[in-house]
Amino acid sequence: MSWDAQYRAGTLLSNANSAPKARSRRNAATLDDSDDERPNPRTNDSDRDVVMAPPSFELEDEETPLQKLMRHWMNERHAPDILPAQDELLASLLDHIRRQSEAVQLLRGEPSTSEEDHIRIMLVQTEVERVKFIVRSYVRTRLFKIEKFARFIMSNPEIQTRITTAERAHASRHANLTDKHFHFSVLQSLPETQSHLDDTPIFMPPMVTQPDESVPVFVHALRECGPIHFPDGSSLNKMTPGYISLMPFASAKALLNRGDVELV
Amino acid sequence: MSETRQFGDLATQLIMESRRSTMSDTLLKYNDSLVRSLIREQRDLEKAAETVEIPDLENPPPALLIIQTAISRNKRCLLAYHSHRVDRLRDMYWTVGGALPHLLSNQDIRSKLSPYEVDYLRQYNSSVMEFRSEFSHELDITASIVNPPKDLHVLVHVVRDCGVIQTELGSIDFQKGQRFMVRRADIEHLIVQGYLEEVS
Repeated sequence: MSWDAQYRAGTLLSNANSAPKARSRRNAATLDDSDDERPNPRTNDSDRDVVMAPPSFELEDEETPLQKLMRHWMNERHAPDILPAQDELLASLLDHIRRQSEAVQLLRGEPSTSEEDHIRIMLVQTEVERVKFIVRSYVRTRLFKIEKFARFIMSNPEIQTRITTAERAHASRHANLTDKHFHFSVLQSLPETQSHLDDTPIFMPPMVTQPDESVPVFVHALRECGPIHFPDGSSLNKMTPGYISLMPFASAKALLNRGDVELV
Repeated sequence: MSETRQFGDLATQLIMESRRSTMSDTLLKYNDSLVRSLIREQRDLEKAAETVEIPDLENPPPALLIIQTAISRNKRCLLAYHSHRVDRLRDMYWTVGGALPHLLSNQDIRSKLSPYEVDYLRQYNSSVMEFRSEFSHELDITASIVNPPKDLHVLVHVVRDCGVIQTELGSIDFQKGQRFMVRRADIEHLIVQGYLEEVS
């Protein structure tokens, strides 16, 4: 099932098997002229799977966009560092949410919508709310890390490649804001020699918070992969699908970015 | 500096406040006087450091090392205290769903903030709003992420008057004591801010 076809088919509502008359009228009245991209509603029985299907990890090739997002969401929540942004995936899901909400709005306003369809609409709305929840949680997880590492992000070009423009703008605003707050509350009153934020005194950790890559994470292999090298010199020859292992984040990073493993 | 006090005592007190705040999960009042005395101690230390004679640059006298260490430690503690408070404030900001006026109009909270912290919250709010506008067509990223939604609608009990609110059923005038069955997404922020209560 192609990803794009599922996507263009924004009408998971229209695979109703009952009330064919009402549906064809409805289609004529609302759906077809509301969205040109929408294919013939009768053909897409599978659309509902886009949001309704339970996640199935065995069929990795057919992972739906939502399942992808859920995987990235879990990875992001477990990783100590900021993972590469999934802006395309996110944008297409947001687009999808918007189109579905519009379709729902139209159908609700349609007097010929049957009782049964209303229940279906409600299911769709609930599902949309749940998808929004995941998107929100995903975005906020990233935001939290960005705020935490704002100063480090601004001084490190590599990490900036992993975040979106909006996130970068927020990081920059946040780093400034925090600096300013420290300046006004504390530093401006201190003697000149002490009023810097980035001193590296001996015997103390640096002042700029950095992601700690030595944090252990649980890694679940989705594909066969390996060998994996650990910081202490040892290595793991291979991981078979389904294998779960605890290892430092630094070792799992490359596998994670390739999509060979997920964090659990 | 009094005779009975050691270098770093004040800083330890400040850090203890942060720790108490974490352990009791409350925001304590901004300790302006302690922060000020610490800053005064820093200036005194700086002066003390200047008066130490350095005969040999290769081997600084131990007195200077001690003073320098005290300075760094105090400064670190000062910043840690402020940073801890700001983290707490951001947590509070997100738990009320980004409703800054709601937070600032609460006298109890307001009295615990330093003026700079109020400024900080205002600017943080505008920064978040700017970020949020990226998503404004589809969803509100400041809404709750504690519990995934189970139902579309929710039965609420009005605890405080909150005026006329736009919902999918048209505008509803929420008055104290009434009950409504409304769409969760429309009024969730009002639950978070304590205007409505969920009836289970």
